[in-house]
Amino acid sequence: MQKLLIPKRKGFLWVFILMLLLSSESILAQSKTVSGTVTSDTGETMPGVSILLKGTTVGTTTDLDGKYSINANAGDVLVFSFIGMETKEISITSSNTYDVVLATDISQLDEVVVVGYGTTKKSDLTGSVSSVKAAELTAFPVANATQALQGRAAGVSVTSNNGDPGGALKVRIRGGNSINASSDPLYVVDGFIGGSLPAPEDIQSIEVLKDASATAIYGSRGANGVIMVTTKRGKTGKAKVDFNTSYSSQEVINRIDLLNADQFLDYTREVIPNYVDNGADTDWQDQIFRTGGIQNYQVSVSGGSDAVNYYVSGSYFDQKGIIKNSSFDRYAITSNLNVKVSDKISLGVNLLARRTGRDGVVTQEGSGGAGGAGVVGSALRFMPDLPVRNEDGTFTLASIGDPIDNPFAVATEREQETIGDLLQSNFYLNFDITKNLTFKSTLGFRVDNNRTGTFIPTTLYAGANVGGDATISSSKNTDLISENYFTYNLELNPKHKFNFLAGYSFQKSDDTNYSAGAQSFITNSVSYWNLQGGAVQKIPSSNFAETQIQSVFGRVNYSFNDKYLFTVNARYDGSSNFSKNNKYAFFPSGAIAWNMKDEGFMKDVNFISDFKWRASYGLTGNQAIGPYQTLARFSNSYTIIDGVAVNAVRPTTVANDDLTWETTRQFDIGADMSFFNSRVNVTLDYYRSVTSDLLFSVPLPSYTGYSSQLQNLGKVENKGVEFTLNTINTTGELKWNTSFNISNNKNKVLELPDGNDIFYGSGPGHLIGLGQTQVLRVGEPVGSFFGWIYDGVYQEGDDFIPGGGFEQVAGGEKFRDISTNAGDNVPNGTLNAADRTVIGNGQPKFIWGLNNDFNFKGFDLNIFFQASQGNTILSYSLLEIETLSGSNNSTTVALDRWTPENTDTNVPKRSLQRSQRVSTRWLFDGSYVRLKNISLGYTLPSSVLQKLSISKARFYVSAQNILTFTDYRGYDPEVNYNSGGGAASNRNLGLDYASYPNAKSYTVGLNLSF
Amino acid sequence: MKNIHKIFLSIGLILGLGSCADLEEKPIGVFAPETFFQTPRDVETAILGAYGVIASENLFGRQFICALQFRGDMISIGNRATSAERIQLNDFNMDSNNGMIRRFWPQWFQAINAANSAEAGGMSLGLPENEINYLIAEARFVRAFAYYHLVRVFGDLPYINFAVTDPTSLKSISKTSEADIYSAIIADLEFAKQWLPNKQKNDVRTRPSAGTAASYLASVHLTLGDFPKAYAEAKYVIDNKDLFGYALEPDFENNFNATIADNLKETIFAFDFLGQISSSNGQNDDSLVPMLAVLNLTGGYGVSVPTKAVYDTWDARDYRKKVSFIDTLVVNGVKRPYTDFSTPRPHVGKWVKLPGNANAIGRYSDHNIADFRYAEVLMIAAEASAEINGPNAEAAGYLNQIRARARNWAGTQVDFPADVMPTMNKQEFINLIIEDRRLEFAFEWKRWYDIKRRNLGSQVFLGPNSLEPQPTFDPARDYLMPLPDSELQINPNLAPNNPGY
Repeated sequence: MQKLLIPKRKGFLWVFILMLLLSSESILAQSKTVSGTVTSDTGETMPGVSILLKGTTVGTTTDLDGKYSINANAGDVLVFSFIGMETKEISITSSNTYDVVLATDISQLDEVVVVGYGTTKKSDLTGSVSSVKAAELTAFPVANATQALQGRAAGVSVTSNNGDPGGALKVRIRGGNSINASSDPLYVVDGFIGGSLPAPEDIQSIEVLKDASATAIYGSRGANGVIMVTTKRGKTGKAKVDFNTSYSSQEVINRIDLLNADQFLDYTREVIPNYVDNGADTDWQDQIFRTGGIQNYQVSVSGGSDAVNYYVSGSYFDQKGIIKNSSFDRYAITSNLNVKVSDKISLGVNLLARRTGRDGVVTQEGSGGAGGAGVVGSALRFMPDLPVRNEDGTFTLASIGDPIDNPFAVATEREQETIGDLLQSNFYLNFDITKNLTFKSTLGFRVDNNRTGTFIPTTLYAGANVGGDATISSSKNTDLISENYFTYNLELNPKHKFNFLAGYSFQKSDDTNYSAGAQSFITNSVSYWNLQGGAVQKIPSSNFAETQIQSVFGRVNYSFNDKYLFTVNARYDGSSNFSKNNKYAFFPSGAIAWNMKDEGFMKDVNFISDFKWRASYGLTGNQAIGPYQTLARFSNSYTIIDGVAVNAVRPTTVANDDLTWETTRQFDIGADMSFFNSRVNVTLDYYRSVTSDLLFSVPLPSYTGYSSQLQNLGKVENKGVEFTLNTINTTGELKWNTSFNISNNKNKVLELPDGNDIFYGSGPGHLIGLGQTQVLRVGEPVGSFFGWIYDGVYQEGDDFIPGGGFEQVAGGEKFRDISTNAGDNVPNGTLNAADRTVIGNGQPKFIWGLNNDFNFKGFDLNIFFQASQGNTILSYSLLEIETLSGSNNSTTVALDRWTPENTDTNVPKRSLQRSQRVSTRWLFDGSYVRLKNISLGYTLPSSVLQKLSISKARFYVSAQNILTFTDYRGYDPEVNYNSGGGAASNRNLGLDYASYPNAKSYTVGLNLSF
Repeated sequence: MKNIHKIFLSIGLILGLGSCADLEEKPIGVFAPETFFQTPRDVETAILGAYGVIASENLFGRQFICALQFRGDMISIGNRATSAERIQLNDFNMDSNNGMIRRFWPQWFQAINAANSAEAGGMSLGLPENEINYLIAEARFVRAFAYYHLVRVFGDLPYINFAVTDPTSLKSISKTSEADIYSAIIADLEFAKQWLPNKQKNDVRTRPSAGTAASYLASVHLTLGDFPKAYAEAKYVIDNKDLFGYALEPDFENNFNATIADNLKETIFAFDFLGQISSSNGQNDDSLVPMLAVLNLTGGYGVSVPTKAVYDTWDARDYRKKVSFIDTLVVNGVKRPYTDFSTPRPHVGKWVKLPGNANAIGRYSDHNIADFRYAEVLMIAAEASAEINGPNAEAAGYLNQIRARARNWAGTQVDFPADVMPTMNKQEFINLIIEDRRLEFAFEWKRWYDIKRRNLGSQVFLGPNSLEPQPTFDPARDYLMPLPDSELQINPNLAPNNPGY
């Protein structure tokens, strides 16, 4: 914008200044006053628009209502400009009124991008950063803004681990860099490291920092990428009220075909001939699913004067889950205040207060043994010949096999409520010491309280035996952060521009939690609010842990001629979590960028609007291990002596004095290109990152008395290509924009201690016979599935391969014999554990998102597809019910089981003896393409609205997840069992067990602005 | 590195923006092993940790003892819809991934590690022998106890008798031979016998005394076929039974009555479970009773159920049969014979009838689950004596003490089983002792070990009079269980696994 302030003809300038000096009103008296209103192309009035008489420095700005008036002569040209909007010129003719509509600037290069400890113009950016705008975050209602990132940014993978309302999401930026430590990205909310996200409607933009140049400023927490969240601010102008609401109706995305009662009886009596028919025919999926819904409301008031800007917003989100008795709600208040105290000093505060409530049902149970089955697990397993209730009114229990409760009882009887209260405040002070030197200090405080109560009444198996079981637990996390930094701009001459940043940061986080429980209550009505009424008191617990991080950081940006850009970042971090020998670490990075379009030889290549090359390399860290994990310890225990519990201790963790952070070295090369007057924008990146010193819970032989020890070892590589395409296909009456992003990530273990495989198990606890299900092996992706190769069913007369625990009968499962004796290459003729091999993995080959926006005369249409391709799912759910050995129900696949009459099948016969084994039989292609959102909106014309003093009104109808193309036979391919927390989240990808299915939704909504 | 640290922190200080934070960790509620041991009391606290590990679901609460029950010929699977791992273990069709071994194997080594840590802690205090050895002896007893079970189940296996501080260095060790492990067990037990008190405080039987150590020595020697030593140790315990406070309980059923479990003179070593207390890690969780209890009428799991032949072949005049079985249940005032049970066979009565303070299905009971009763010392003395000298009056006398006690039918004297006379030949006499052991210790975890040490497998599983026919029983394979496959994966030097796996 600077060019507007520098008149082109210097001679004229001097004359003009002279005129100003000598001027009086009379000199300009011949001119007339022209006036008007400036609005944006979205119909909102625009305060603060700069209006300049072309060729002069005479100008004005629009007032709070977007109105202006200026003296001008016919024939003069008025230049209207505003950041982010296209500049417009109007010639003055005879009229005195000129209402102007400014169009949004489609050239993205002048966009301001938020980076660590500052902002930069997109054209000056040297790192790899993706931006997601407010409109994309609120395209459809979501419980958590992170959910809205799915499919929106190249290299960013968002998947739900479980479909329950308010459930956890797995976010990966350029793959999982870790094996044992968390690979979750770092969230920075308005500068608050580790801050919580406000409601999606309160977010202005999200930037995803991907390469080392962008993330190294966050040092030991930057390795997994950084998600920078900027909340909305008030704009100078009169108060603006926005009201958004929507209602969604939800249904389960899919059902599984289970055996009905007759089929089940037939199936069961084949091996348990005296099984007694219980007479009912219950569809347990009907019993647990219902029509769910989401209601979402948000209202904000924003505005400001020259000195004070404000944004205050309240929101309410309420989701009724598609499984009975499950729900999630969120109330949030966001308040941002910015005050300009003087020309030099400004300060402000961002506040977020939030309450979330979650009524949970048990799904994805860690173990589904006696009384342990969750709602979905039980719905798949439970006998269809049993009714919901016995004749005496009690709930039915499984008639054979482990005594599990019926699904309806599990859903409706058990109470599990979590209430979370969050208060996050971030205060800042900005001091412009000189024109070029600025000091900024922030002080953030966050407290997150959670309380979980569970009650298992006597109507459930687990509660019946103990007279009811109640537990209440509470956790509190407090976070204090203080950051102080200087920025200094140095312009030696117009060709050499420098920008320096130097700062210090301290952060302390305390975690406390405690829980208590009791059993044996007089009545079920007290829930968990009368522990003292329990005849049996459980052992209470309380814990405290503290983490401290202190750091210094700095950055230098150098730009030569705006053509060659250089960035150097560094952070020096100290963390209390690390071992005594390794408390501190240094994380540097560097990047260069070349605006090739600015070179002489590109001048005449008109179809290219911009062309920038970027390259970066740097080190970032991951310190995501818990406090005290480096210390050896004896843990509290007890033993019973003479009928009394007495104190005891036992060794539980073995020390590692050298434990340190993981280091990720990432190389990135990319290009940002614009063609055809910026109507086609392309971003292309290639990256390769290698993480070394992996924090790894190395499995130890159990005979050491320990199961694992945390060590730094091994290397993991992630490399991939990201491609983003944004196009403006048509302008004018019909506006059509497309954005498409696709990324591939290849994950590979490069190095393990002594090159040895590391095996681990992830199956549900009650299927313990599965043993080890996955392997970490050099050259294979993390989390590779490990098992036998299923070769179909043995037929009469086949050569049965011997092996303890393996079937050697017609109709039995046939596995491939692949292990050899030492010294030859011939299969050794017996089946055992050595015949297992890597059979697949849950890592997608690529993920993509495709978004199309159409606008026509007030109508808008959005179609958004999102996809994952090339990932494999290992389904423990189908394994459990289709091994055909258990005393559960099964799917209709069982109807095709081997019998002497039905031999042409690869489904084995019914057999109680068969072991549950991980084999290729349970692997499924998890690829899917999903119509994530389709919405049609209509914005009322402003002529109608002005009478109602409404500035904008839009109605819309939309649908989410209504189409999914997949071959997976489970509920939904977007699923991860046993994948919460640090280690599990990286190592267990693509597992499914008894998951809460995702929902499909139909939504109606309204956006209003006053 | 240090210098960089200083330079950067100096920059921070120059900026004047904060002081150097102390990044040392000061954990609360976590004990550091290197500073924990200050007094003998701390050593004792560490030993107690080992009992907590054993008195848990994976070992004496359920998995280990149930596995031994399945392996024998007295108990088979009742509810065949239970998990495959149990069926396979019972049916001699298990593999090295079997879930039951995967549960109890690590747990045993946690107990061993706890005992080893306590021993090392005791040694580190540098106290005179007479002030610390009684605790070191207790730690060594626990280690010997754990290995004695392990070596009988697995044969050769890794032997660790020191506190593990660098577990990585143990990743490539080889198995120690059965013979060497037995030698180490004997050395530990000898030391324990020398230094343990004759009675523990309050005469509890859940911690070992010198008598406990001697009793286990008798058992170890019997297992090894060293009959003179077995006899000598058993005789030593019998001669000193008053010193150790041992006696047969007058009523056989007392041994399975949780409400008086802390006062039984017959118990030599047991694990104390306290009613209705649960922990997240399975500690103090005994599910033995629900495993044995009738599925449809009591809500138990009905998994471990005697074969019908065990019931049918047992003389109904034997009071021990009445105690050992539940063949009728009264439910809502209605008498239900075993033919109404979901597995229509008589179920186990020991422990199930009198679980004391427990939940509705007998889980979290108040039992002290005994591994060794004084009756077994008498049996060992009889068997060892007979092996050395043939049938003799002394040996018969030991058996007759047990038979006499069985004739006390809950306070009423009956005349069955009659005393035995040493008038038969040696083999018949030995067979009689083994048979008496089978009935006296029915459903306790003795029978499998007897089958193994006497090589009876082919006879009892494949023979014509088998109580529990198991056609897949293979004497070349099935006297040992496989080491868990996961251990061999981490440490290939443990290969090969036991024969046949």
